[in-house]
Amino acid sequence: MSTTVAVAANRRNFIASYGARVAPWLVPLAILIAWELAAKSGVLSTRVLPEPLAVVKAAWSLIRSGEMWADVKVSTWRAMSGFALGGGIGFALGLATGLFRPAEIALDSTVQMIRNIPALAMIPLVILWFGIEEEAKVFLVALGVFFPIYVNTFHGIRSVDANLIEMARSYGVKGFALYRDVILPGALPSILVGVRFAFGLMWVTLIVAETISSQSGIGYMTMNAREFLQTDVVVVGILLYAALGKLADLLAKGLERVSLRWHPAYQRGTKA
Amino acid sequence: MSATGFSSSTFGGSAARVDASAERGQRRARESEREHAHEQQVGTERRSADYSVELRGVRKQYGARTVLADLDLSIERGSFVSIVGRSGCGKSTLLRLVAGLETPTAGTLDKRGEGRASNGSGNRASSSVSNATRFDTRIMFQDARLLPWKSVLHNVMLGLGRGARDDARAVLAEVGLIERANDWPAQLSGGQRQRVALARALVHRPQLLLLDEPLGALDALTRIEMHALIERLWREHRFTALLVTHDVQEAVALADRILLIEEGRIALDLPVPLARPRERASAASRALRIVCCARCSSASLTTMRDRTQLTNSNANLRKARKSSHSRRQPKYRSHGFDRLRSVLSRRAAEPPSDRANTSMSTSSARAIAQRLHHFAFAALAGG
Repeated sequence: MSTTVAVAANRRNFIASYGARVAPWLVPLAILIAWELAAKSGVLSTRVLPEPLAVVKAAWSLIRSGEMWADVKVSTWRAMSGFALGGGIGFALGLATGLFRPAEIALDSTVQMIRNIPALAMIPLVILWFGIEEEAKVFLVALGVFFPIYVNTFHGIRSVDANLIEMARSYGVKGFALYRDVILPGALPSILVGVRFAFGLMWVTLIVAETISSQSGIGYMTMNAREFLQTDVVVVGILLYAALGKLADLLAKGLERVSLRWHPAYQRGTKA
Repeated sequence: MSATGFSSSTFGGSAARVDASAERGQRRARESEREHAHEQQVGTERRSADYSVELRGVRKQYGARTVLADLDLSIERGSFVSIVGRSGCGKSTLLRLVAGLETPTAGTLDKRGEGRASNGSGNRASSSVSNATRFDTRIMFQDARLLPWKSVLHNVMLGLGRGARDDARAVLAEVGLIERANDWPAQLSGGQRQRVALARALVHRPQLLLLDEPLGALDALTRIEMHALIERLWREHRFTALLVTHDVQEAVALADRILLIEEGRIALDLPVPLARPRERASAASRALRIVCCARCSSASLTTMRDRTQLTNSNANLRKARKSSHSRRQPKYRSHGFDRLRSVLSRRAAEPPSDRANTSMSTSSARAIAQRLHHFAFAALAGG
């Protein structure tokens, strides 16, 4: 009697835990099925949206021809170099204005002014400056990425606990060691928030830049497909952006988990 | 308790230095000096190798607000001094001045390292932070101030090279946390964090340890544990300790000497002639606690009459101390004592504004203080 109860309870537990894992996928699955049915029955025209199966097929053929790989590579390179450039400058400037009053007085209000201009509003000028070459995209991505990194680095350094700095100084920590051991680690949580924002902005800026003017990359692929009414390829491009964006976000999360191991929010295991 | 036993514990376990009676004489002389400190010329050098810290005419102002007013204070090497007072009385500021975290508005602050020729004479405290490191002063704050991104061991090694790893491990073992060396500070309890902070201070082998209400945020049981730990480490490492606290019981439990600071002045300078380790339930420690509390609770008693009364009470205490040398501390408890305690706690429960304003409460506070003094001395003398 008691064993059957236990087994039943076990089964209930199993179903509950399994259900919790499966449940979030039920709605997307239902939408997918509805989409497929609508496309099959002709309610949804392929010119509006291709059926899911067609998207999968298009993706497969793009992978096999090697086109997709080439475009993804080009787009990723643009994103990364733009991020490195804008993020690097943003970090360096944020460090300077956060640490040194004169730098803050000289630079911060200027940066805050420029920050209010959307990076994408610069596109006409950027095309005039760089044409539609690589530099234009890298510049736009760098511009988009610069501000979140700058603002969060500045804010992070300013919000480092002054008590900790006072303590470290009274224990004889100064100069570079003070930055390395106290100020930078203290600012890191905020800087990493900036990095996550920057990853998001990086893709948005790149998509727009590639869609408007380019001769390679995912944006080019989708715009090209639009000309030939290949809605399936367009959807593949959109999904690719989604996947790459998710990947960047995972990367940022991983970075946080590794470098903020000490933070209570990232600690698993026993507390004292 | 024998006479030598008493003196070695009072003067920080430095029994090897001077013989007890000579030192007592010196101390008495210094006490009278302290009482006439204002009449003394500030500029004259008072050479006395026994002081670890000496403040002469130190004043600290923030804008128009005077936090400390012309303070004269000498702290004997190897002693344990407690500073008590209400919040905002300037006790933390005094500690921060000594630590070199603040600079005095006026006056001189000398800190003398042991066996360091360059530090022999008066050194103006204007170059404050470098002062603090040169004289091996370490401060422990109310919050542990551990770097959350460094492991416990690396926190203890802060400011020291890789070579300090073994030292750091040894000190962590002394505070009983060696098995937590690789944990993050966030994984420790409040008491454990303070123990790490204590280890971090001690690994530098400071000659002067400043404690800025380090146990204020801990629960009562952990605090008692920490008292024993601090006292043990103080006896073993023989540093000079300066403890700021609002807890009179803590001051009586740990210190050789208690300073009460009121409105930026030293209102009471009370030696604590109790043997160590101290029984916190003993009548003498309770009496001392009550003397302090009574003085604390009569904030507006700053008249001359009151001052003379206190001077008298100091003299009485000295007398009491002399007689208590050769005697065990009596266990003492009576109805009268309990009644006085209840009166005192009732007074403490009153809001301070009432206490300051009404003349009636002032006079009753004075009466209570008087009775308590009398009582305390009786208890100390073994009555």
